[in-house]
Amino acid sequence: MNRYRFVLLRPLQLVPVLIGISLVSFLLIHALPGDPVRTLVGMRAPPDVVERIRAYYGLDQPVIVQYFYFLRSLAEGELGRSVVYRMPVSDLLASRAGPTLFLLVYATLLGIVLTIALSVTAARNRGRWPDQTIRAFSTIGLGFPSFWIGLMLILVFSVRLGLFPVSGAGQGFVDRLHHLFLPAFTIALALSAVLTRTLRASLIEQMDADHVTAARSRGVGDKDVFWRHVVPNSLIPTINLLGVNLGWLISGTVVVETVFSVPGLGFLMTSSIFARDYMTVQAITLVFALATVLITFLVDVVTVALDPRVRM
Amino acid sequence: MTVRRLLKATTLSLALALGAGPVFAEGVLRIGRESDSKTLDPIRTAENLDIWIANNLNATLVRSNREATDIEPDLAESWTISDDGLTYVFTLREALFSDGSPVTADDVVFSLLRVRDDPASAWASNYANIADVEATDDRTVTVTLTEPSAPFLATLSMVMAAIVPEAIAGPMGEDFGSEPVGAGAFRLKEWRRGEVLILEANPHYYEEGLPILDTVEWRAVTEDNTRILQVQGGQLDAALFVPFNRIAELEATPGINVHLDPSTRTDHIIFNHENEILANPLVRQAIAHATDREAIVQVVTFGHGTVANSYIPGGAQFYNPDNPARTFDLDGARALMEEAGVGGIALDLMIQSGDEVEAQIAVLLQQQWQEIGVDLSITRVDPSQWFDILMEGDFDMSTVYWTNDMIDADQKVSFGFVGDAMMNFLTRYENPDLSALVLEARSSTDPERRQEIYYEVQRVAEEDAVLLNLYYSPFRNISRDGIEGFYQNPLGRIYLETVSVE
Repeated sequence: MNRYRFVLLRPLQLVPVLIGISLVSFLLIHALPGDPVRTLVGMRAPPDVVERIRAYYGLDQPVIVQYFYFLRSLAEGELGRSVVYRMPVSDLLASRAGPTLFLLVYATLLGIVLTIALSVTAARNRGRWPDQTIRAFSTIGLGFPSFWIGLMLILVFSVRLGLFPVSGAGQGFVDRLHHLFLPAFTIALALSAVLTRTLRASLIEQMDADHVTAARSRGVGDKDVFWRHVVPNSLIPTINLLGVNLGWLISGTVVVETVFSVPGLGFLMTSSIFARDYMTVQAITLVFALATVLITFLVDVVTVALDPRVRM
Repeated sequence: MTVRRLLKATTLSLALALGAGPVFAEGVLRIGRESDSKTLDPIRTAENLDIWIANNLNATLVRSNREATDIEPDLAESWTISDDGLTYVFTLREALFSDGSPVTADDVVFSLLRVRDDPASAWASNYANIADVEATDDRTVTVTLTEPSAPFLATLSMVMAAIVPEAIAGPMGEDFGSEPVGAGAFRLKEWRRGEVLILEANPHYYEEGLPILDTVEWRAVTEDNTRILQVQGGQLDAALFVPFNRIAELEATPGINVHLDPSTRTDHIIFNHENEILANPLVRQAIAHATDREAIVQVVTFGHGTVANSYIPGGAQFYNPDNPARTFDLDGARALMEEAGVGGIALDLMIQSGDEVEAQIAVLLQQQWQEIGVDLSITRVDPSQWFDILMEGDFDMSTVYWTNDMIDADQKVSFGFVGDAMMNFLTRYENPDLSALVLEARSSTDPERRQEIYYEVQRVAEEDAVLLNLYYSPFRNISRDGIEGFYQNPLGRIYLETVSVE
């Protein structure tokens, strides 16, 4: 039995998962009233013009037929065309992916830094006020929706203090870091609220572990014990949880990008839902699903590699 | 300043004399607006976000003048119209597209047939009266119509009738909207979707010395107050669509210029005449008299709008400034309600969710109409659903607004009174005599007769209270000091070619 056999099997399981996701999202968006053509042509166009354009885009076909058209174009390796942007969806997504990727990496890094700082402080001050405060923060942080936190951050840091821009993604690396700080921080807060609980707990668990006591008895210094023995061994459950949460992070960009008007995939998703741009919504859903599945897969590979006892 | 200009001119002539080409940049203009464009193919869009850019990329056979009061030559330097009004012969000027290829009669034929026939053309019905377009020679185009049409030249001046190169637009199909080529003052340089759309001066533009600017950046900045902040902070040079409640404060801000250029925007309330109560003209008239339009102008537009006394936008072609409008008169309104014999009535007003201004109007009307026993409920609907409901007729009243796409009065008057598939601005009002008059005005070549008919339409619209004409409002843009010539004409065209930056 090879521990890595799942690496080959997992992609096969992916196919039914993606078909299921695409079917559900397709039916959901088509169940909404309204259609994209009226927005394009405005209210002046008479019904026959609207009908002709609907037919041109195949929107006059039954939903199930449209779904098969979609599957057929997927089989040909294309995501279809956006009715609203009148361009291939793949080009549209490519042009909007940059800010989202930047935001995701930025938020993850910020989240990791925050988590480590908070957990270490809490674990080393177990039971005292810094620990209590940090535990309260992570409980509260779990409860608050990110759109509310985002709006509060905008109010305080952008409107009152004028430290950060209210919206947009900026030009160039430094400007982008500046523009995306608040959105990334919003996501990082939510992320670290989740991760801090786990990391703090496993840090404390490891601090009492036998191998740590053994290391101490060998005369290893306090700092070395903590950073070389306690921290590395505490990270495994946290990395696992981070993986699970990265999937959630991707969907979190939809809300955060919309609140901060970041021109990325998440913002495109909400505006496309409002415009009933079926193909774009469909494609972004698939991309997000695929990314989530891939990240979970990668986390599994990393976990198996880190811990010889784990089998998938 | 003159000295600087002179210096610049001298430098330029020196540089040109040395064969080095222009050495300095006349400048970059950065404009903030609420959202990015979606397509720049003029036949495929009816959205201002697209049209206002397409205006600057394209040239048409004829165009409206700067103030949108008359038609003037554009790519056609002259034209003749046959006595029966059916045949137009256009003579083209020597002009180039932004890729350097010549504008030919064949391109004109292609472009006009494209807007009429393309299955994805949003404007097909506006050009359905074109029977044929022929290139008589390289520089001459003959257009024949199925029937005489007074607004035809105005129709040709809309950007949907832009002349585009057949060799490029033909094979590209829908992708032309992402990489357009036209014969306008600017051309597309770069487009980062959702963020910024960058135009550069078209070096082949036919008008000498225009445009003055080198580059125009259209930045998508969703939030109104952020756009204003960015102009104040110097990250933007101009911003479109400033909320009414910020205008007074911005007018007092040094370094900021507020441009309240007249538009053709008119806000209305439409009645569904299939509703039993609203079918009664006395009730509609009573509601009109119970509506304090001046109060709405004060509250909603902070006094920057004006009361609408007519269905036709204030200042537009054939607008009657002395149109007899129904004035705010509660006693008169109550008397009409009594005469109608309906007592207390319950009606519903549909508005689009997310539109603050419409919500304000709705609440004001709710209060005002209470006085005559109208119990008004307000229904908010999703914007993508709103128009379907109007078409299906499942509503009592709705807020709507209109802006003219062309200078001729026919477009809006036909939409409201010709009685076609649009059901007279979706009101289901029926007046066959008036519809016949509107058709007569469309084919009449006598401006006096047309004025007579359009004045009659404006009178009847108020007399019958077919719908409510609430208020006219201007465009609301700002620019920073040093930007000269920022101007949006009543049709929404922003004259970028004559803007300069200090």
